[in-house]
Amino acid sequence: MTGMPARIAIVLLAGLLPVLAIAQPVRIGSKQFTESVILGEIARLAARDAGVQAVHQRELGGTRILWKALQQGDIDAYPEYTGTLNHELLQDVPADADIATLRARLEPLGIGITDPLGFDNTYAIGMRQDEAARLDIRRISDLRAHPSLRLGFSNEFMDRGDGWPGLRRAYALPQTKVSGLDHVLSYRAVASGAVDAIDLYSTDAEIPYYHLRVLRDDRHYFPRYQAVFLYRLTLQRDQPAFVAALRQLAGRIDEPAMRAMNAAVKLDRRRDSAVAADFLGTQVDAGWRGPWQRLRQRSVEHVELVAVSLGLALLLAIPLGIVAARRRRLGQLVIAATGVLQTVPSLAMFVFMIPLLGIGTWPAVAALFLYSLLPIVRNTHAGLAGIAPELIESAAALGLPPRVRLRRIELPLAMRPILAGIKTAAVINVGTATLAALIGAGGYGQPILTGIRLDSMALILEGAIPAAVLALLVQGVFELVERWLTPRGLRLQPRQ
Amino acid sequence: MGAAEVGGGIRFALDGASKRYGDVVALQPIELAFEAGSTTALIGSSGSGKSTVLRLLLGLERSDSGCVRVDGRALQPADILALRRRVGYVIQDGGLFPHLTAMGNLGLLPQHLGWAPQRIRERAQALAQLTRLPSDALARYPAELSGGQRQRVALMRALMVDPDALLLDEPLGALDPIVRHELQEQLQRIFGELGKTVIVVTHDLAEAAWFAPRLVLLRRGAVVQDGSYADLRDRPADDFARQFVQAQRTLPATP
Repeated sequence: MTGMPARIAIVLLAGLLPVLAIAQPVRIGSKQFTESVILGEIARLAARDAGVQAVHQRELGGTRILWKALQQGDIDAYPEYTGTLNHELLQDVPADADIATLRARLEPLGIGITDPLGFDNTYAIGMRQDEAARLDIRRISDLRAHPSLRLGFSNEFMDRGDGWPGLRRAYALPQTKVSGLDHVLSYRAVASGAVDAIDLYSTDAEIPYYHLRVLRDDRHYFPRYQAVFLYRLTLQRDQPAFVAALRQLAGRIDEPAMRAMNAAVKLDRRRDSAVAADFLGTQVDAGWRGPWQRLRQRSVEHVELVAVSLGLALLLAIPLGIVAARRRRLGQLVIAATGVLQTVPSLAMFVFMIPLLGIGTWPAVAALFLYSLLPIVRNTHAGLAGIAPELIESAAALGLPPRVRLRRIELPLAMRPILAGIKTAAVINVGTATLAALIGAGGYGQPILTGIRLDSMALILEGAIPAAVLALLVQGVFELVERWLTPRGLRLQPRQ
Repeated sequence: MGAAEVGGGIRFALDGASKRYGDVVALQPIELAFEAGSTTALIGSSGSGKSTVLRLLLGLERSDSGCVRVDGRALQPADILALRRRVGYVIQDGGLFPHLTAMGNLGLLPQHLGWAPQRIRERAQALAQLTRLPSDALARYPAELSGGQRQRVALMRALMVDPDALLLDEPLGALDPIVRHELQEQLQRIFGELGKTVIVVTHDLAEAAWFAPRLVLLRRGAVVQDGSYADLRDRPADDFARQFVQAQRTLPATP
């Protein structure tokens, strides 16, 4: 029994061991849609060919996440659109600001901007060709004559000032049946006739595929969304070759080229790095990773997220649980506070972490850490509070100081509920960690994100199955740990 | 047990000490002394305050008024840990820790005090002889021991570091009559051999009379009578004392 503290120490250390080794190549971010991912790959391969080591943190949560990450230096560059800069990211910029104006506005923020890459990916409104022909709709203003048409818009388009609210005003559109849709699903909705018109990006690969007609923006409502790269100005000093490589991409990608690349990835299911390499006339990386290597890397990332967050949570939650058991008032407060943390939706929790910790592994670890607290604190408290009072009193009457009582008597007696709490936290963490890919932490969530983006069940399963297996494995490992750490005397039935 | 262990003991006194739990008075302000090396039985119905006396003496509770005196000095919070190491305490079900073997239970305090394993083993063997515990029982967990064996281990645990006093709260309360009878014999012998201050709480008058020359009868947190068994039997202080004596069916039916 004297080995008990040593055994606990071994289990704790095993949880904390995988500490992250952080190298510092140039980090390129991309948004959660295919075009952005392809541009990110193009930038990475262009950097590689210029002799600059670069990594691509693909499919980060959204514009705001990338913009903040760039300003905080968590990423070094990402593809953006001038319209988004004008309307969303920068305040008090004329709607038709040119690149020179934007460059001047971005410089004080420490951000540089390339010249336009050559294509415009602006919002547009599209309808099925046959339906548009039947109703004789060619321009957006033609929609005014058909108030009963059902519109389906992506959630972002519904909300932003330069989206539906502004469009409705500019054209005095009368439609009332307007629903929010995921952009990926909206094509199928319009193709199946569930809605009559949707918002599009003008380089979307699906436009020809689904035989859609893009309505002419006859009042020039939609701003220009020229693709550019944003980068941190410090790179001009630290990685001049990378900045030069980015600048060389300016003017080289026109709309048909971009639409073709989008189609190659989305519709022909080609790998984005291969498509990007073809465009640059270069080779994909020699060391392309097969499914097993991918699985291994994601497993390492995922286990690391779960293990580090759980290990840190143990260091805080068990002492908190002990304090909660000792002082009733404070205990209720602690348990209520950890309970409130648990009610924060996972995605919101990850996004909250970005201003504090940037993107990548650490904010994900922090979010998972906070989620782990409640089950461990609560079970530690319940385990200690559930010890028979006569045992507590016998321990006190022996003349052992409180710390020795806690270590030799109370914690071993509460071991089973404490371990059950840790197990619960670990299994929940395995599931929640799949969302960490949204803030660039990788793991099994990455193929799930890509799978949703490309509508590929195979990719979704490539993430979901290992996550489920890992959850079962964690469950099993904890059963063993529980058997190993629970004192034998507690597993016996008392004799009468 | 060597002669060196005979004698000594602690003089305990409750000096106007009282205790209440919310609205319930457990002990009224009470004057009660326990001489060093004496054996006393506290008797009374449940709720009479007899366990509270032990808990005050051990510092498990703080008195609301008055004080507890140990060898004449008022007990201070800072002295409580040291006092508890000089006092062995045994409760009804033994209070053995289920996650430790009998030997593990015995070793808790000596280990903390830095005893060598060899010394702990030898002391445990000696106490096993004293309490007539089969020595193979030392390797078992409490759940693997019989009720009588558990009480023996609890007594041994209380005696491990050779305390100056033994406080026992219904030590035989949960045992069947035969085991109980056997342990009564042994405890009486042990109390006589060790010469420590012993205070036994029991609701059984015959057991009290068997253990101790001095009986203290409590009722509703106050002393009803303080004297020998003969005093109590022949000169009960009031109706309650008389009832208490008459209610003991297990008393020998002597004329």
